[in-house]
Amino acid sequence: MLTMEQLAERAWRPPRTCEDYLSEFRHCKSFRNRFHHYYTYGTAPSCQQWKADYHNCSEWERHKLTEAKDALQKSERRRLEEQKNFTPVWKLRQAPPGDWHRPLDQETQQDS
Amino acid sequence: MGQTKQDEEYGYDLFPERNARKPTQITIRDSLFTFRNKCQVMLTFAMETSPYAKLLLSAMKNSGCKVFKDRHFSCEDCDGTVSGGFDAASSQIVLCQNNIHQQAHMNRVVTHELIHAFDHCRAHVNWFNNFRHLACSEIRAANLSGDCSFNNEVSRFNFGLKEHHQQCVRGRAVRSILAVRKVSLEEAQKIVGEVFDSCFNDHAPFGRIPHGNKDAKFAYREYMNRDRYYMNL
Repeated sequence: MLTMEQLAERAWRPPRTCEDYLSEFRHCKSFRNRFHHYYTYGTAPSCQQWKADYHNCSEWERHKLTEAKDALQKSERRRLEEQKNFTPVWKLRQAPPGDWHRPLDQETQQDS
Repeated sequence: MGQTKQDEEYGYDLFPERNARKPTQITIRDSLFTFRNKCQVMLTFAMETSPYAKLLLSAMKNSGCKVFKDRHFSCEDCDGTVSGGFDAASSQIVLCQNNIHQQAHMNRVVTHELIHAFDHCRAHVNWFNNFRHLACSEIRAANLSGDCSFNNEVSRFNFGLKEHHQQCVRGRAVRSILAVRKVSLEEAQKIVGEVFDSCFNDHAPFGRIPHGNKDAKFAYREYMNRDRYYMNL
């Protein structure tokens, strides 16, 4: 009988499929992407992390190595953190705007 | 409402059909002698095939703002050379049927305006009184919609390479603000400068700056797989 932890461990999958990591790496290294990266940031893109992620993903799929899993999780968490690297100008909503679905007829009848 | 001055200040004079204030009645004349049908067809094609648009529509649905073509889009004749706009008061995206004649252009305008709609949906954006909010959404829209792609800039005879994308985004954000608000060029530039770093780095919902359809397809794939992604982080 497996424990909950062991079950969770077994149920874990890499955040993306290994094919996705490989295609992201190839896309990153393509001339088109390198051109656009320079056009946007003035530097060359760094693609090594995708390659490392693909390697770890393959290692996990083949041998279920914990080191590979940990490395992948760390890499993706860092990627997410980099996405949040700014202070928002506005406050996020807790719920969508109430009048998003309001019928248009109602609006033209209002006299404000 | 009788507030023509306010309408002018908010750029409503660019969209004369919005001022009619009567329910839209599409006549046969409209169908035969305007570009409305062409606009509708191109809009449908954009929503169904552009990865940029599909991602935004999906993200908006998940934020509680499902987009209905007939309710949230409106093909109209507009003044000048403006291509489209987002009317927060009626939650509608306006497409300028007399100024959009190619599918690629339609795809870009739909993406640009959907980014405004997405910002409206997920954040408390004060479109009318907060210039920083307006500037931020314009920066994001110029950055993420493909407005400033290398090819588009070259077609406008704006030649530049290293970091030109950022220059283009700044410039277009300033122009968008000047088009709809009565401020000076210097003030618009100052406001854009203040919020640029924050808003240029906000890539929601794409997760990256999509430089073309391939990037956008990767971003769409990433978005559609987000459940698995977050579950295994």
